[in-house]
Amino acid sequence: MTGRHNRPPSLTVVPAPAADDDHREGGGLDWSKLMARAQDGDRRAYRALLEDLAPYLRSIATRCFKEPSDVEDAVQDVLIAIHVVRHTYDRSRPFGPWLLAIANRRMIDRIRRDTRRKAQEIALSTEHETFPDSVANLVAADFDAAALGVAIERLPPEQRQAIEMLKLNEMSLKEAAAASGRSITALKVATHRAVKSLRRMLGQQDR
Amino acid sequence: MKTPDLIDTLVDCATPVRPLRPPLVRAALWLLFAALVLAIIGVAHGVRPDLAERLRQPVFVVAMFSALATGILAAIAAFKVSLPDTSRSWLLLPIPTVVLWISTIGYGCLTDWVSVGPDGVRIGEAARCFASLLLTSVPLSIVMLVMVRHAALLRPTAVCMTGGLAIAAITSFALSLFHDLDATIMILVWNLGSAALIAGLAGVFGRSLLAWIASRLMPTALS
Repeated sequence: MTGRHNRPPSLTVVPAPAADDDHREGGGLDWSKLMARAQDGDRRAYRALLEDLAPYLRSIATRCFKEPSDVEDAVQDVLIAIHVVRHTYDRSRPFGPWLLAIANRRMIDRIRRDTRRKAQEIALSTEHETFPDSVANLVAADFDAAALGVAIERLPPEQRQAIEMLKLNEMSLKEAAAASGRSITALKVATHRAVKSLRRMLGQQDR
Repeated sequence: MKTPDLIDTLVDCATPVRPLRPPLVRAALWLLFAALVLAIIGVAHGVRPDLAERLRQPVFVVAMFSALATGILAAIAAFKVSLPDTSRSWLLLPIPTVVLWISTIGYGCLTDWVSVGPDGVRIGEAARCFASLLLTSVPLSIVMLVMVRHAALLRPTAVCMTGGLAIAAITSFALSLFHDLDATIMILVWNLGSAALIAGLAGVFGRSLLAWIASRLMPTALS
């Protein structure tokens, strides 16, 4: 105790909010009456109802979903369902169970759908991310196409022809043999030598 | 879309709606339609020639009227369960009559076992029987699907199964009213087979059909 009050705190009597048509005795909006008026086409009542329901539905959805975006999606899903089946609300019955039944139904459906989707999806591992990554695919770009062209030009004519036909134009040995009039063995030997010479020439350049 | 924007959209397309009639009244309307379909088929086809004689056999009477009772109770259950805030225990309503109906068919099988002859089943009668089956079940299914379309978002499977059972039972009642298929196998195929087929089809396709009909007929401009 730090001290003594000389005067007791003054208490003021606040009048309870007047219970109009849309309010319950406790002060909150009467959803049942709002829905009944919404069914008759009163858009103002309908807006008041939906705006009042949204935070309540959000509090239910937070218990089922972790991500804020999932929570908001679930709230919207329930609001749409309420809109679509609003003619099933019986004015003589309480609004709460009707609302909760729809909310539970839609959220369970959503959880089931999410579970099914997650069961079919695989989370990306580091390999999946590495291979499509641009850094991992620069080997081909480093390759100096111009230097190779110059090196091929410097090859002896038989080797150059063999390389051009078999490697650059991707002809088969048979096709290349028919086109050049040389034997398959000669082409094979020429290609082998050409690759060897190219490797030597490009290797020298690198050094 | 943000929730306040969605509320704006919903409010914009909030046209007045007429609250649904009580489920019992709606079930009665559907049953009235079923009675009308049966009456039309009865006038066109005529009841089976030996109806008066068969109505004196207790097993036949029990089988026929338990099918009818199953149809009525399953229809009530379907309309009750199609509403969001009714108890799921309504699904149990048709169970006793289903058990009675199926057990009488089984009893009929056993007692009629000996009388299955080579000419017990005729193709002509079977084809007409199939036509009656379609004539009864197709309009009843369409009307049922349209009437419970709002359940697509709530309890589609339960409503489709009970609705399917109601249609199957009424169809079976119609078949025993119009066709004299005494052969055990035909009774089994038509009664249980058609019941299982319709209930199964309702279970498998009912959900998507219901969703499709709901998307066509729902009182909303949302798309």
